[in-house]
Amino acid sequence: MNGKLSAAARREENWGWFMVAPTIIGLVVLNLWPFIQTLYASFCEHLGFGRYKFIGLQNYVDMFGNAEFWKATWNTVYFCILTVPVGIALALLIAMLLNAKVKFKGGFRTIFFLPLVCAPAAIAMVWRWIFNGEYGVPNQLLGAKIQWITDPKTAVLAVAIVSVWSSVGYDAVLLLAGLQNIPKTLYEANSIDGAGKIRQFFTITLPMVSPTLFSVLIMRLMASMKIYDLIYMMADETNPALTDMQSLMYLFYRSSFVAGDRGYGSAIVIWTVGLILLVTLVQFWGQKKWVTYDI
Amino acid sequence: MRKLSHLIAAVLTLALLLSITGCGGSADGKTHLTFQIWDVYQRPGMQAMCDAYTAQRPDVVIEVQATSWSEYWTKLEASAESNTMPDIFWMHTNQLLYYAGFGMLADVTDLYDDVEPDYYEKHFSEISRSNASGSDGRLYGVPKDKDNGLLVYNKEMFDAAGVPYPTDDWTWEDLTDASRKIYDATGKYGFMAYNDDQLGYWCFVYQAGGHILTADRTQAGYTNPGSVKAMEFYVNMQKEDWCPDQTYFTETAPGTAFFSEAGAMYLEGNWNLPQLMENYPDMRGKWDLAKLPKCADPIEDSESLDQDGRATMSNGLCYSTAAHGKKRDIALDVIKFFGTEEAQRIQGENGAAIPAYIGCEETWRSAFDAYDEKLNLDVIFDQFDYAVQAVYNSASPKWKSQVLDELTRVYAGSQDLMTGLEKMQQIADTETAKKLASD
Repeated sequence: MNGKLSAAARREENWGWFMVAPTIIGLVVLNLWPFIQTLYASFCEHLGFGRYKFIGLQNYVDMFGNAEFWKATWNTVYFCILTVPVGIALALLIAMLLNAKVKFKGGFRTIFFLPLVCAPAAIAMVWRWIFNGEYGVPNQLLGAKIQWITDPKTAVLAVAIVSVWSSVGYDAVLLLAGLQNIPKTLYEANSIDGAGKIRQFFTITLPMVSPTLFSVLIMRLMASMKIYDLIYMMADETNPALTDMQSLMYLFYRSSFVAGDRGYGSAIVIWTVGLILLVTLVQFWGQKKWVTYDI
Repeated sequence: MRKLSHLIAAVLTLALLLSITGCGGSADGKTHLTFQIWDVYQRPGMQAMCDAYTAQRPDVVIEVQATSWSEYWTKLEASAESNTMPDIFWMHTNQLLYYAGFGMLADVTDLYDDVEPDYYEKHFSEISRSNASGSDGRLYGVPKDKDNGLLVYNKEMFDAAGVPYPTDDWTWEDLTDASRKIYDATGKYGFMAYNDDQLGYWCFVYQAGGHILTADRTQAGYTNPGSVKAMEFYVNMQKEDWCPDQTYFTETAPGTAFFSEAGAMYLEGNWNLPQLMENYPDMRGKWDLAKLPKCADPIEDSESLDQDGRATMSNGLCYSTAAHGKKRDIALDVIKFFGTEEAQRIQGENGAAIPAYIGCEETWRSAFDAYDEKLNLDVIFDQFDYAVQAVYNSASPKWKSQVLDELTRVYAGSQDLMTGLEKMQQIADTETAKKLASD
């Protein structure tokens, strides 16, 4: 088919390539090539200053035999369990409230969206003070002495709370857009048929918003699996709970940039990519069961 | 329409060309050098030195760039890989052996041969020279400064508890006794023993006759009897009610705790003192400096230095330039100047750091001239007599963070001290052996 193109068609095809070239080149140079390099580095020992020695699967053998690595994997999964269902349920609730007839709707929407405007570093610093074991607000209110960030039992929870707080507004805005696309007539017809509010939620709202919900779910889950910045900002090197809260990406940072072991760090990255790939595949398979794309 | 787009293209091309020549830095016909440092408080001192140099060499412009400590090393390593290192930069003992081992730093051993053949030996202490030396014994930086750790104490709290101020003869027992008395009398913390190496347990290990690395830096000494004795003492202080535990220090740095009057004593590096005076005006006059307490019964050991229970850690930075930098010769000339008495004096007088140049040390006192309240700075200069060089080897970047992880587990209570020390010993030994084998 390609061989029989007229001169005009070929010129048009070339123009097509020319127009997508910036994106393609960007993807190859900034995403694909670094990925290949990372993959290669994961089979190497980093000697220093970009010099690598091929050592086969040794990094992976070390990694799978390391308790700290498994702990970090579990921490990441645990963090996802804490943030994704709770975060999205909250976001949906907020979106529905913002979609209802309430006073100062614009004001509320702004307030929920505000965390997204703040710099993540500033958010982490403020929350560090909030969670301070000596002077923190929640401890004052509860009259407790919980060491939120330094107690292994609560450290992941503390980071999860901040993560949900800072992302819930964004998710809510996306879901709100989805909610507003639902035709009012559906609700009217449904209530004429005598359905209650709860039934309406499960038979109309949820199916109709499910495509948006699905994109939010995928994005949130990926972001949660790659959690790094909040932990970096909220935990110090000397935090006794560090190994109990560090995620895979944080372990990668420490291996690659603190200990200078970039081969091992790359192996952690490849493992994380594999995990995300797996989870995303499961989600795309699962979407057939619950996501409604047409009425 | 067509003409317009040609015109836009022409303007853009011109702008691009102009920006390229701008990057070349030759627009004003001068040589532009960058000087990378990690301490913003030392920028005025570094700038003054550069000004003194460019006064003699008007054809050179030096730009001082300050960044944070943690970013510094990530950036520097990346720039070393792509051979775009800053023209002049600070080097730290912890990293020098690593950079020098890979041939990243210019050899400056013969830099002063035209001035004096044994310039370094004459004007810099053995510790200073050692801090700037690679594993091959060559010098890869011009010594910049020296420092040590000292005891900072709150005079008001000592007065309130009726405890006499720390003296030169203070022992570990005096430290804990005073802490207990202050805590009982005022409810404030006594000595705040936080998890730190250079400003913490390293000092105590050497006081007790132990060592972190053997003198030839090929083996660790965490399980040495003196080291164990010191670690037991140091780590277990956090179990006393007069000392906060590590969870407290994670949220409140010991310096912050001290200057918010939550505790009476902690270890501080002399390099932080000028900014502490500046940042806490209400505390001026309420605190002072003392020598580190000594170990009353150090354990005799073949590796330990004979110091009768006294020790503090001393470290020093140096000025380096890249081995294959594009402006290497002019950069070498600048760091040659930085190592002269004139430049070291400027550094001291600006309060940046204690000059490494022997005879210029006391110029650093002028950093405190602006304040009426005086600190007992003598103790810092006296402590140099028995200071131990901060312990690093070429594998340090590899084992340091792992060793910290193990010690953090000890502090968290998830492993006992002896297990932790054995693991630390093993980590440092393994990484060092690996590095030595690959050299």
